[in-house]
Amino acid sequence: MTTLESTPPTPAATNYLTHTRGFLSWAFTLDHKRIGVMYLVSVLSSFLVGGIFALLVRTELIAPGETIMGQDAYNKAFTLHGAIMVFLVIIPSVPAALGNFVLPIMLGAKDVAFPRLNLFSYYLWVFGAFFLVAAIFQGGLDTGWTFYAPYSTEDARSGVILATTGVFILGFSSIFTGLNFIVTIHRLRPPGMTWFRMPLFLWSIYATALIQVLATPVLGITLLLLIVERVMKVGIFDPALGGDPVLYQHFFWFYSHPAVYIMILPGMGIISELISVHSHKHIFGYKFIAFSSVAIAIFGFLVWGHHMFTSGQSGLMNAVFSAITFSVSIPSAIKVFNWLATMYKGSISLNTPMLYALSFLFIFSIGGLTGIFHGTLATTIHLHDTYFVVAHFHYVMMGSALIAMIGGLHHWWPKMTGRMYSETLGRIGCIIVFVGFNVTFFTQFMLGSKGMPRRYHDYAGETWSPELTELFHTYHFISTLGSYLMAAGFFLTAGYLLHSLVKGRKAPSNPWGGRSLEWQCTSPPPHDNFSSAPTVGDCYDYSVLEWDDAEGGYRWREDVPHPV
Amino acid sequence: MLLRTLTSLLSSGARVDTGDGFWLPPQASTYSQGIDWVFYFIYWICVFFFVLIVALMILFVWKYRRTSVTHQAGETVTHHTPLELTWTIIPLILVIAIFWIGLDGYVDMIRPPANAYEVNVVAQRWNWSFEHRNGAQDSQILKVPAGRPVKLVMTSQDVLHALFIPAFRAKQDVVPGRYTTLWFEAKEPGLYQLFCAEYCGTQHSQMGATVAVYPPDEFDEIIAKDARWLDNYTDENLYQAGLRIFARCSSCHSLQEEVRLTGPSFWDVHDDFGKKRLMEGDYEADIDENYIQDSILNPQKDIVATYQGVMPTFQGALKPREVRAMVEFLKRLDEVVDRQGNPIE
Ligand code: HEC
Ligand SMILES: [Cu+2]
Ligand SMILES: [Cu+2]
Repeated sequence: MTTLESTPPTPAATNYLTHTRGFLSWAFTLDHKRIGVMYLVSVLSSFLVGGIFALLVRTELIAPGETIMGQDAYNKAFTLHGAIMVFLVIIPSVPAALGNFVLPIMLGAKDVAFPRLNLFSYYLWVFGAFFLVAAIFQGGLDTGWTFYAPYSTEDARSGVILATTGVFILGFSSIFTGLNFIVTIHRLRPPGMTWFRMPLFLWSIYATALIQVLATPVLGITLLLLIVERVMKVGIFDPALGGDPVLYQHFFWFYSHPAVYIMILPGMGIISELISVHSHKHIFGYKFIAFSSVAIAIFGFLVWGHHMFTSGQSGLMNAVFSAITFSVSIPSAIKVFNWLATMYKGSISLNTPMLYALSFLFIFSIGGLTGIFHGTLATTIHLHDTYFVVAHFHYVMMGSALIAMIGGLHHWWPKMTGRMYSETLGRIGCIIVFVGFNVTFFTQFMLGSKGMPRRYHDYAGETWSPELTELFHTYHFISTLGSYLMAAGFFLTAGYLLHSLVKGRKAPSNPWGGRSLEWQCTSPPPHDNFSSAPTVGDCYDYSVLEWDDAEGGYRWREDVPHPV
Repeated sequence: MLLRTLTSLLSSGARVDTGDGFWLPPQASTYSQGIDWVFYFIYWICVFFFVLIVALMILFVWKYRRTSVTHQAGETVTHHTPLELTWTIIPLILVIAIFWIGLDGYVDMIRPPANAYEVNVVAQRWNWSFEHRNGAQDSQILKVPAGRPVKLVMTSQDVLHALFIPAFRAKQDVVPGRYTTLWFEAKEPGLYQLFCAEYCGTQHSQMGATVAVYPPDEFDEIIAKDARWLDNYTDENLYQAGLRIFARCSSCHSLQEEVRLTGPSFWDVHDDFGKKRLMEGDYEADIDENYIQDSILNPQKDIVATYQGVMPTFQGALKPREVRAMVEFLKRLDEVVDRQGNPIE
C-alpha cells in the first residue's frame, strides 16, 4: 500500500474509505475497491457527457429542418455520443467499475491477482479518455463511432487519429482488466468454492474477460492500420490507394461484435444475482445459465459478418453468417426462461434493484426478439441502417446492459458507500427511466421499419417527399419527448444517490438478504475485505438467513451452523 | 422546387405512399410481399414470446410478492434438465425455421432475372447519377418501367454510400473501387422515395432522390426523349439547358445570391465574370470561360479562397456539350433565374 499518513487500523472502526486519507492515497491506491470507485465516478461522468450529446441529437430531430444545429455539428454530436457511450461508458461500466469492486470480495479474496496492473488499467483508461476528449476539441470527428473507411481516412477528418489512438489505448485498459480477472478467478478462489459454486456474476465476468483478452487486440490492430494508412498513405482500406473498404468492416466488426457481448454479458450476470437475491429464492438452472454465458462468448466470435449483409459480400457469406447469428439467440432464451423460473414460487420484494431487473427482462426481451429480424436475411436488408437497428441496439446496449448496470449499482450501493438511498425515490426513478426509455426507442422501431435511415440530420428537404417528412415528424417528436423524460429520471436518480452519501441511513452488512460473500463483510468493507477467511457454501441458498430487526438487514440464522 | 417540376412529368396528383399500419411501407416491388410475409411471421412469434415472458413476470411478481420479512420462498427444485432442454430446443427449432424462410426470400432478392433493364448508378457526395444505356442521365430522379425487372449497377466516386428504396425493400451499399448490384421489379407506376442509407458525411440526410415508375410504353418514350434532350437546344439557347444540369451541382452550389453551401453561390462567379479574383494560395485568376470550364473539369487547379478543394471533377461525367451549356448558363445566369433562384419564365 502506498499511503501518505497511515493510521493504525482497528478492524472494526475503519473501512476501505476511511482506511487512509488524502488525494494521493486514492491516486496511488492498489485497493481494488477504491479503483472500482474511481472507475465508477469516471464512467458515470462520461455517461453524463454522452447523455448530453444524446439529448442534443434528439433535440435536433424534434422537428424537421435545422432546429438547434447544422449538419456538421449534428454529425459530430452523434459520433461523440456513440464513441463515448460505447468506449467510455458501457464497455468499462460493469467489468471495470462494479466488477472491480465486487469480484474479489465475492471470491473472498483480499484483492485481484495483480493490483498494480489494475491501477495501470485505470490510468490507461484515463489516458485514452483524454485522447477522445482532445478529439472533441480538435473538432474533426464526424465519422460515427465505427470509423468506416475510406471516409475516416480522408485528410479532412483531423480528429480521427486522436480518437482512434484514444480507443487503441482504451482497448489496452480493457485487455489488462480482462487478464487480471481471468487470473484472479483461476487462482484466488477460496477453498470450497469450486467453479460451480461461483456466483453467476463471476461466470459472466469470466466469459466477458475471455472476449476482452481475445477480441480487443484485433481492434487495436485495425485502428493501428487505419493510422498507418492515414499517416503513411499505405493503401489498406482506401480504394484510392489500392485498399479495400470492406476489409475494414471485417476487421472492425471482428472486434465490435464480440464487444456487444462484452457489454451485455456482465449485465446478464448482474441480473442473475438480482433476481435470485430479491426473490429470496435459489437460482434456477445454475449450470445452464453459466454455460450459456460461455456459449454466448464463443458464438459471439463467429457472427461479425451480420453487420455487413448489404456491404457487397457474397450471398453465400451472408447465408453462413445469418445461420450462425441465430445460434446466439438460444443461450439468451435459456437465460430469460431460467430467470423466470427463479421467480416462480419465490418471495419477491420489489426493491429498486429488483425493479431494474424486471425492467431489464421486459426490455431485453424486446431487444433480443427484434434481433431476429436482423438475423433473418429477407428482412434485414430492408431494416439495415435504419432506425429499426438504432432502436434494437439501444434496447440491448442501453435498455439492457446499462439498466442492468444501474440495477447493480443500486444493489451494491449500500455495500460500496455504507449508506441506504431512499427506496421510494429509487422506485420512482426506475419507473420514470423505464417509461422514458420505451417511449424514446419503441417509436424508433416504427420509424425504421417505415424506412427512416439512421445518422440523418434531417428528414425534410428538397429530395424528401413531404408525405414522409410528415410521418417521420410525429415519431421523432414522441421519441424526443421520451428522451427528456428519461433524462429527468436519471437526474432524479443521481440526486437521491448523492443525497444518500450525506444523509442516507447507515447500511447493514446484508440489506437484501444476499448469500454471496460480499454480504458477509461489513458495509462498507474493511480495507482487507475479510478479517478471517470466509466460509463458502451454496451462494444461492437463502434458507440460512433471517431478518434482524435491530440491524435492519439479514443475518445468519443462529440455529444453522456455518459451513466448514 | 426543381424536383417538383421534374416529377410533374408524371400524371398529376401523384403522392408518395407511406403505407398503412405501424410497420412497413407499401409493397411496391414484386419481392416485397414475400419479405413482408417473413416480417410478420417473425413479428407474431416475437409478440407471442414477449407476451408470454411479460405475463409470467407480472403473474409471478403479483402471486409471489414478499408479504413480510419472514415470508419464505416456496419449495421448488433448483434445476430441471428436461424442462430446460425444452426451452432450449423449442427456440432452436423456431430459429432454424426462421433462418430457412429468410434465406428463401433472400435468394429471390440477389438473383436478377437475365432480361433485366440495366441502369448505371454513380454515387458521389451527395448526389446520385442514374445513367441509362441510351445516354439519358438524371440525378434527382430514377426513372424505371413498371412490370419489368430493373438492375442497378452501382459504384461510388468517393466514400461508402447505400442505395435504399424502402417501398421496394431494396438496399445495397455502394462502394468506391468496386461494382455492386441491386435489382427490383416495380409493380405499379407511381412515385417512391430513395435514400442514401450509409453515412457519408455532411449532407448524408439530403442525398435522396425520387423513384418514378412509368408505364412501360411511356417509359421507353421518355427515356428516348431524355437521351436527346440537349438536341432540343440550339447554340443560341443552350444556356437554358444549364438549369437541368444544375441538379448535379445543387448539393454544393446554390442559385440564391446569399446561400453558400460547400461551394460558392453561382451568383458569385456570374457577378465576377470578366474580372480578376483572389484564389487560395494568394494569386489572382481571370474569371472567364476557361476558368469556369477548368472549375468543372479540373477543379483542383484553382481553389476559390476560403473554400476547400472538395469539388469532384466532372470529366467524363458531363459531355462536352453539357459543359458548354454550363459555362453559358453561368455567364448568363441573370437571364435564367432571379437572385432568389426562381426560374424566369
Ligand atoms: C461536392 C461539392 C461540389 C459539387 C457537387 C460541385 N461543386 Fe463546384 N465547387 C465546389 C467547391 C467546394 C468549390 C470552391 C473550391 C474550388 O474552387 O474548387 C467549387 C467551385 C466551383 C466553381 C468556381 C466558383 C467560383 O466562384 O469561382 C465553379 C464554376 C463550379 N464549382 C462549378 C460546378 C458545377 C458546374 C458543378 C456541377 C456540374 C459543380 N461545381 C458541382 C464544390 C462542388
Ligand atoms: Cu453484431
Ligand atoms: Cu449517405
